[in-house]
Amino acid sequence: MWRIRLFDSLVQAATWVAGGLLLLTIVAVFYYLFAESQYAFQRKFPFGFRIALQPPDSEYRNEVSMDPTASLLATHREGTDALDDAEDATRLPSHEELSQMQALVTATAQTDDPRQLRPDALFRDCMRAPKRAEQGERFLLLAFALPHYTGNRMVLAWEPDVSFDPAYCPYELRLRLVRAPEGVQVKPLEIDLRRQPKGSLELPVWKARTQEEWLQGYLFELEARPTTTTTLATIQQFLMPDWAPTILYARFGMLPLLLATLLITLLAIGLAMPLGIAAAVYLSEQASPRIREWFKPILEILASIPTVVLGYFGVMLIAPALQQMFGEALQLSSGRGLLATALMMAVFILPTVISLSEDALRAVPNSLREGAEALGLTLAERVRLVLLPTAKSGLIAAGLLAIARVMGETMIVWILSDGTPTMPDFSSPAAALGTLVKPTRGIPDTIAIEMGNVEFESPHYGHLFLLGLTLFVLTLGINLLGFAYRKRAQVVL
Amino acid sequence: MVAAMTLPKQKVAMETVELSVSYNGKPALKRVSLAFPANAVTALIGPSGCGKSTLLRCLNRMNDRIPGVEITGKVMLNGEDIYARRVNLTRLRREVGMVFQKPNPFPMSIFENVALGPRLHYGLRGRALQEVVEDALRKAALWDEVKDELHKSGLALSGGQQQRLCIARMLAVQPRILLMDEPCSALDPISTQKIEELIVELGKQYTVIVVTHNLQQAARISHYTGFLMYGELVEWGETRQVFENPTRPETEDYIRGRFG
Repeated sequence: MWRIRLFDSLVQAATWVAGGLLLLTIVAVFYYLFAESQYAFQRKFPFGFRIALQPPDSEYRNEVSMDPTASLLATHREGTDALDDAEDATRLPSHEELSQMQALVTATAQTDDPRQLRPDALFRDCMRAPKRAEQGERFLLLAFALPHYTGNRMVLAWEPDVSFDPAYCPYELRLRLVRAPEGVQVKPLEIDLRRQPKGSLELPVWKARTQEEWLQGYLFELEARPTTTTTLATIQQFLMPDWAPTILYARFGMLPLLLATLLITLLAIGLAMPLGIAAAVYLSEQASPRIREWFKPILEILASIPTVVLGYFGVMLIAPALQQMFGEALQLSSGRGLLATALMMAVFILPTVISLSEDALRAVPNSLREGAEALGLTLAERVRLVLLPTAKSGLIAAGLLAIARVMGETMIVWILSDGTPTMPDFSSPAAALGTLVKPTRGIPDTIAIEMGNVEFESPHYGHLFLLGLTLFVLTLGINLLGFAYRKRAQVVL
Repeated sequence: MVAAMTLPKQKVAMETVELSVSYNGKPALKRVSLAFPANAVTALIGPSGCGKSTLLRCLNRMNDRIPGVEITGKVMLNGEDIYARRVNLTRLRREVGMVFQKPNPFPMSIFENVALGPRLHYGLRGRALQEVVEDALRKAALWDEVKDELHKSGLALSGGQQQRLCIARMLAVQPRILLMDEPCSALDPISTQKIEELIVELGKQYTVIVVTHNLQQAARISHYTGFLMYGELVEWGETRQVFENPTRPETEDYIRGRFG
């Protein structure tokens, strides 16, 4: 007797332990994703402008940084070592401080002697990666012309770094004239660099004859005032349509990835659900027990094919077929893309859909079938009017579980999507067709591809975890919905 | 072996001729010939496994879907054999309705349960459909109880109400013959009484064939009774005669409660 009781309590304890472990796993996954994605929020948003004073007839007027005759006034703090050390960069520097910051001030205008150039200060800025700017950062720049300069006007030209996009910059960027040299009359000047990221402006010339006098030139201020908090800016950027984590100004807009994943899921489920339910109806209503006996194990074997194998199958069969159909018309390099992925996903999920739908249909009591038959309903009417409505909860649950599985499936997308983040475009039929057959990239394969060579604890790293979190929340939500429907299905029957 | 027994003067609604049924070679009905009088209640009684349900289910071909079934003989309805080729099953079942042992309302509203048949078979819509539904529910003595909650789920009703809903669902298709397979065996006594009253009422307009293993019930509600044993029709006649003055010793033994 006591043995039985001991066994019972052991079994009960095991149940609790197992349940606790499972719950702990979910909480741990959630916590881990959450904790690691903090690095996405610690991100500083870089910005880079090249601002130069140059002769008005300068040939390379628009390519500020490449003009050797231009006077490079400032990029940002990194080059100005002296200012780097200054704790409070928002304060205007004193005369002494400015005189120490000679690296900031480079005068090269039309000098005869190239040795007077300070090429390392000039060109270093062209090549340097932008520093991550901090909130409320300010930079000071001095502008003047050397005595050799013969013109009486000079041009202040400004231009963002090549890959810098003001739309992604969470700062209000302003170029402001703080001080004009003595004896020069200029109107107050303030340029909104986000509205007008590139431009030029003529200024009356002021020539500095001595090193002392450099400091009396035009004093400009480039101010970066944050428009939002870093958290909000990160989230805002996360919802932008551009995923380019490795370029100079990294962009972490996950919208194309999310849309691709959703689109693939939608297409795959849209294909697999009707087909799967139809097959399930056949299996549960028409097929003889013999056929069912054969079919069920086959379904289970199909459901257990590794997704890598399915992916290669897609590469060998589906992609070439699509390439043959659309390759010439759309100039595709391969048939891999959204459609190929969605088709293979449908194949991947079909056995599961059939199996779950058949379970749902078989859970409909036989008495309902008989009742419907005795009422003179044909098979089609029985299925449409009685069986499917009765099994609805179970079928929806099957669909939701299928959606969750397709969403999280990595290998098939990785192999078949061709890995280029693409924003879906349905503005015209041609664009829509292009979206379907051209390469794309979803969330799970992005994590798989990039996690291997990402810098540890960098913003990119944090954003990959943020992607994981997004996917986890999506699939978890859909799974929970599925469970809720399943529960309802059990209550009804 | 009892020969086809019909009663003179009484119109015959349905008739089985030498009907035999076997499941996977095991006989369940042996050459049963039986005529069901029109506009009367006929009860089929007999011990468990005697084939009475099988016989009933043959009358609207519900046995077709059972695997391994083999049916020989004829079932005549309107002068036609319902087992002949090219019989329209939908039309047959429109004419021969059936209620089962366990109430099986569809998981939809009360109204939809009843409206399903007439909408499909007669293409009724709107007002006409509502009238048919109301009429069927009235005939099934359910209208007064559910008229204010027609849009509640049929599953929310009590067992007896569910069974009457199933009867209403059957009546809405306007059959002439009603088959009832132990319609009260899953119900409480009060619901049973209501259904019994209903059967008596329906017997005036319809040909009702009831399978029951409750002898008192058969005696209470039926005009005619058939007694089956081991797949054979043992006795057949007016209910009073079968119960009070059976011609065969087996019938007497069964009715006196000596076995079964």
